[in-house]
Amino acid sequence: MQPYQKEYIDNLKDIAVLTARKKSSAQSFEECLEHSLENKEKVLQIVNRNMELLRDHLFPRLDHLFEAPQEELQDLQEFAENLLNGRNELDAELFCQVHQALLSRARLMKDRNSMIRELYWLGIGRHNLCNKMIGLELWQIEKYISQMRLCFAEAAAYLKYYDEIDDTETRGYILRSRANMALGQFKNSSDKIRLGKQTLQILQDKGYQEKEPNLPWERYIYMTHQQIASSMSHSRNSIMSSQDIADVMDSVYIVYHRQLEEAKSQNKQPPIRFTFSHYAIEYYCGLDTLDGLLSKMEELMNKADPTDFSADSIYGLISLPAFYCQYLEEYPERIPAHLEYIEDLYKRIWEYVKVFPDASVNEQLFFSLRQLSSTFLETENSISYGEFIQKILIRFAPGIYLHSQIVGKAARVLCEIIMNEEPEFFDDIDFIRNIEEPEKKKEEVLDYAMKCGAFHDVGKINFITLYSRTGRQWFAEEYEIVHLHTSVGEISLSKRESTRRYAAIALGHHSWYDGSRGYPETYKRLESPYRQMVDVIGLIDWIENVTYSSELYTGVKKTFEEAVQDAIALEGKRFSPLLTARLRDKKVTEQLCHVFTKGREELYQQLYDMKYCKI
Amino acid sequence: MTGIKNNSTRENKGYLVIEQTENNQLQILYADETSCSMTGLTIEELLNADPIQIIGGLESIPVKLDDNHELWILDSAKNRQLRIEELEQMNKTLEDALKAAEAANEAKSNFLSNMSHDIRTPMNAIVGMTSIGLSHIDEKARVQDCLQKIQSASTHLMSLVNDVLDMSRIDSGRITLSEEEFSLADMLHDISIIIRPQAVQKNQSFQVEIGRIYEENLCGDPLRLRQILVNIIGNAIKYTQTEGDIQVRFSQHLENKTLEKEKNDIVWLDFMCKDNGLGMSQEFLTRIFIPFERVSNTTISKIEGTGLGMAIVKNILDRMGGKIEVESEEGKGSCFYVSIPLRISPQSRKSLNLPEGQTVLIVEGNKNRARQITGFLQEGGLIPIHMENGLDAVTWLAEAQYEEHMPCAMILGQEISDTPVLEAAAHIRQLAGPDFPIILVSEGDWAQIEYRAVRAGINAFVPCPLFMSRLFATLSDLIGHADQDTDHQVNIIDYSKYRILLVEDNELNREIAIELLSLIGVQVEEAENGARAVEIFEASTEGYFDLIFMDVQMPIMNGYEATRQIRKLQRKDAKEIWIVAMTANAFVEDIRMSKDAGMNEHLSKPVDVERLQEILRTRLK
Repeated sequence: MQPYQKEYIDNLKDIAVLTARKKSSAQSFEECLEHSLENKEKVLQIVNRNMELLRDHLFPRLDHLFEAPQEELQDLQEFAENLLNGRNELDAELFCQVHQALLSRARLMKDRNSMIRELYWLGIGRHNLCNKMIGLELWQIEKYISQMRLCFAEAAAYLKYYDEIDDTETRGYILRSRANMALGQFKNSSDKIRLGKQTLQILQDKGYQEKEPNLPWERYIYMTHQQIASSMSHSRNSIMSSQDIADVMDSVYIVYHRQLEEAKSQNKQPPIRFTFSHYAIEYYCGLDTLDGLLSKMEELMNKADPTDFSADSIYGLISLPAFYCQYLEEYPERIPAHLEYIEDLYKRIWEYVKVFPDASVNEQLFFSLRQLSSTFLETENSISYGEFIQKILIRFAPGIYLHSQIVGKAARVLCEIIMNEEPEFFDDIDFIRNIEEPEKKKEEVLDYAMKCGAFHDVGKINFITLYSRTGRQWFAEEYEIVHLHTSVGEISLSKRESTRRYAAIALGHHSWYDGSRGYPETYKRLESPYRQMVDVIGLIDWIENVTYSSELYTGVKKTFEEAVQDAIALEGKRFSPLLTARLRDKKVTEQLCHVFTKGREELYQQLYDMKYCKI
Repeated sequence: MTGIKNNSTRENKGYLVIEQTENNQLQILYADETSCSMTGLTIEELLNADPIQIIGGLESIPVKLDDNHELWILDSAKNRQLRIEELEQMNKTLEDALKAAEAANEAKSNFLSNMSHDIRTPMNAIVGMTSIGLSHIDEKARVQDCLQKIQSASTHLMSLVNDVLDMSRIDSGRITLSEEEFSLADMLHDISIIIRPQAVQKNQSFQVEIGRIYEENLCGDPLRLRQILVNIIGNAIKYTQTEGDIQVRFSQHLENKTLEKEKNDIVWLDFMCKDNGLGMSQEFLTRIFIPFERVSNTTISKIEGTGLGMAIVKNILDRMGGKIEVESEEGKGSCFYVSIPLRISPQSRKSLNLPEGQTVLIVEGNKNRARQITGFLQEGGLIPIHMENGLDAVTWLAEAQYEEHMPCAMILGQEISDTPVLEAAAHIRQLAGPDFPIILVSEGDWAQIEYRAVRAGINAFVPCPLFMSRLFATLSDLIGHADQDTDHQVNIIDYSKYRILLVEDNELNREIAIELLSLIGVQVEEAENGARAVEIFEASTEGYFDLIFMDVQMPIMNGYEATRQIRKLQRKDAKEIWIVAMTANAFVEDIRMSKDAGMNEHLSKPVDVERLQEILRTRLK
C-alpha cells in the first residue's frame, strides 16, 4: 500500500477506537464529558485529514487510472482489501468506489480476467451494504440488491468460457459469483432456491472439478448448501412450492447433520441456527404443525445459555425470538396462547443485553436486536415498542439518541411558545383537537412534541454504521441511502400502537414546506393532519443537524445564529413561515439556544448516569 | 300530423247537391260517383230518388250553399268509425307529443337545476378558496393548496361549460368536423397520458391493447375523435369502483376487405371499452344517448357530470358516419363498441433504416407486450431474442459481448421480474458500452422518468400503447446513430455545430475524452488548467461554446475557481453555459461545492464514457 493508503486505514482504526471508547469508572461526569468532547474533536480532525487524503491522493489517482502502472493497481487492490474483508469492515463504500474504478478501467482495457475479479469484489461490496439494511421492505432496498446481483450475474456469465480461462483465481471468482447470485432477498423464494440448486449442480459437476482441482470444491459446495438452507429465513413471508421445499430439505439435512457430527465430536450441542432450519423445514414440508414448530422454537430459546455471549447464543436468544415473533405476527390468532411467553421473552432478552460485555460495540448483537426490532410484537404487558427503541438508541446509537432528545426538548419549547399564542395551532390532529381543557391540551401538545423528537429518527437505526463508524464525509450514494430513514421509520412506528402517532413525523421531517424539494415523495404535506408538528420537528432537526450533529458526514457546520438566519432565509420554501416568524423574536431564539447548549449537557449527564452507556 | 295523413285508411266521401223546390220537396241536382257506389244506385236513379230515403244508414253532413241549395257530404258508418279512431289516434299522438314536450321541458328544467348546482359547486370552491388564499397570502403552502383546488374546480367547471356548448352547437346544427391529418399513435398515447392517472388514482387496472393496425396516419377530426374516446373511457373510469378493471382495445378493419390495403381509401377504427363497473339497466340503455339523461341512483348521483357526454358522442359519431353499440348489465359493467370510418392519409411513410437480419434483445416480463414487440420486429425483418428478466439479459449480453455478436439494440420493457428496470439499464449500459442503443418501452409518462432514465443510460423512449411505426422509427434513429459512431456515417443529429471546452490537466485523460467526444462529431477545444479555460472562454465570442467539461483538481487554478471566474464575466453566455464538473470526488460536499461554484452537473471519474455521451445527448439536443 502507498503511504496515504496506510494512513487512511490507520485513521479508520483510530476512529473505531475513539468511537468505541468505554467509560472509565474512575472518571467524574465532567472528566467524562471533557473526554467525550475531546474525542469528538479528534474524530473530526481525523475525518478532515481523511478527506484530504482522499482528495489529494486517492481521487487524483483514480482520475489517472488509465495510465496507472500495474504496481499502483495492486496497491489499490490491497488498499481496498484493507477497507473491507472477511474480518473487518472499515469503509465498505470506499471499497466499492475503488473497485468500481478498477472495473471501469478493466472494461475499457477489455481485460477479461480483471473484469471478472472486479465484478466479484464490487458485488461483495454491494452485498455488505445490503446486509446492513435489516428490516427494510424489499421495495426499499431492491435497487441495492439488484446492483449486487447484476455484478455477480455478469461475472458468472463467464462460466461458459471456463475452459478458455486458464487461471485458477479467475475460475474461482466465476464460481463464487455464480453462487453469490442467490444472496439477498428475492421477490419469490423459488427464484432464490432455483439459483442455489443450479449452483450446486455446477459445483458438483465433475467436469468443472477435474479441470481445476486446486479449488476448494468441498467448501464451495457446503457453503452453497448453507446458503440454500438459510433460504428458510428468506422464505417465511412467501409460500413455498413442494419442489422448493424438497430442494431446500436436502441442503438443510446436509448442513444440519454435518453440524451435528461436528458438535458430537466436540461434545457440544449443534448450533441453534441449523437446528432451527431443521425444525423449520420439517414444518414447511408438513412433518410438523406451526404449533409444533413454535413449541420447538421455545425449547431452543429456553436452552440458549444467557451467560454465553457467542454468536450462536446471540442467535438463540435474540434472532430466534425475532423469527418466533414473525410467525406469530403472520398468525395473530396464535398470540393469546403464547402471550406470557412473549412478555417474558422481551424481559429475558433485555437482561441478556444488559450483562453482555461491551454490548455497544458488538456488531452481531446489534444486528440481532435490529432483527428483533423489525418483528417486535407489542402486547399489553410487554415492554412497549417505543421503550424498546429508546433502549436500543441509548445503548447502540447514543449520538442519535442525544440528537433526538435535543430535538424533542427544543420542539417542546417552540410548541409552548406557539400554544401560548395560538392554542388551536395543532388542532388538525384529532387527538389534540378533542381535548377541550386548554391547559390539558397544551400539556398534551408539549408531551407529543417531546416524543416526536425522540422518535423522528428511529429509521436511522437501520443505517447505523453510516453514523457511528464513518471516517469521512458521505458519498452521494450514502446520502441517498440515509434518505431511506424517513420511510423506514414511518413503517416501523406505524406498525405498533404505542408509536403510531409519531409515524407521520418520521416520514415527513425532511420534506420541504412548499413541497418543491426534500424527501420522501410519499409524504404529502397538505394531506397530513400532523403537518404542523412535522414542520416543527423538521425545523428543529435541521437547526440541530447543521449546528452540531451532521458536520462529520456532510461537512456542514453553522453557528446557531447562522442557522437561524438561514432558516429565516428559507421561509416559505423549506420551512413554514408560521414557525420562522417566531425565529425573528430574540427571546424565542434565546430559549432555543439554551436548549441546544444546556439541554445537551443535561442529556450527557443522563447518559453518564446510565452505567452501561458510553457518552 | 303528417303521420296521421300517411297512415289514414279513410275511404272517399260522396257528394250530393240538393235543391229545395218551391213545394218544399228535396231533389238531387248532382251526385258524384262515390255517392253512387255508397248508395248502390246509378246517377240516373239517384237524380230521381228521394234524398232522405237513399241516405238510410249513411251519415250526411249538410253544408248550406244558398237559400235553396245544400251540399250533402255522405259518409259510411265504417268511415265514421275510422274517423273516430283517427281522431282518437290524433289525440293520443298529441298527448304523447305533449308529454314528450313536457318531459323534455322537465329534463331541461332538471338539467338547469342540476347545472345550477353543478356550476355553483365549483364556483363556491373557487370563490371560497380565493378568499382563503387571500387571507393567508404569506403562507405559501396554504396558498398553493388553495390554488390547486381552484385549478381543479376551474377545470371541472370548464368541462361542464364545454359540454353544454357542444350540445347547444349540436342542437342548432352548428357543429362542423375538420379534416386534418393526424397520427393515431400520437393520439392514443396522449389519451393514455390523460386517462391513466385517473385510473391510477382509483387503483384501477387500465389495460390498452392494440390489435391489427393497417394505417397510423389518418385524416379526420382528431379533436372530436379524442373527445369521443376520452368521454367513453372517462365514463368507464368514473362509473367503475376502486380497484376495478378497464380494458380498452383499438384495432382497424378495411372498408373493402377484398381490396389490398394500398387500394383502400378508408379504414375503420374499431374501439372497445369494457369495464366491470356499475353498469346500466336495460331501461336506461334505451335512453343513454338522450341529452341530459343520467342513471339515477344514490351511488351515481355523487358522480359529477352533465349527462350530455354520451349524447355528444352519439351526435359526433353520427356526423362522422360511425357506429356505436353498448352492452351493459347493472352491477356487472358495460362494454362500448365504436367504429369510425377514417380516411387514410396520403402522406408517405418515412423511409426507415432498419438493419434487416440483425438481432434485437427484448427484456420484458410481460408476455403480451413481449409477444407484440417480437411480432413487430419480425415484421421489420429483425431477429428478436426475448429474455424475461434482468439477470438472464446480463448473462446473455456478457456472452454476446465476449463472443462479439452483440445485438444491434435492446428494448427494455417496464415489467422485469427480478430487477428494477433502471438498475438493469444502468448495469447493461456499463457492460455494453456507450454506443449500444437501449430503448425503454413503457406506459409511464416520459417527462416524469426522463431524468432518471437518461442517467441510467437509456437512449430513447417509446410510449405505450405501442405502435410499430414508433418502435421502428426509434430503432432506426438509434441504430443509424450507433452505426455512425462506428462507420462514420452521417449524424442523425448534427453535433458538428456544437463546441465544447474540455478543461483537464491530465494529458491521457484529455486524449480519451477528446476521442469519445469527437466520435459524435462535436468540436472540442481544450484547456490544461482552470486559468487557461477562463482565458479561452473570455477570448471567445459570445455563445461560441455550448458546454464546458471542467476537471476540478488542476494546477494553477482549480475547476471551482475557474467556474466562479467564468460565471462572473459580464456576458450573457457566462451565466448560462452548462458546466459539468469532472472529478472522482463524489462526496456530498463536493457536489455541493461544485454547485456553489456555479457548476450545473457532476460527472464522476474515472471517465464514465456512457455518462459523458449521455450529457452531450441531453444538453446538445
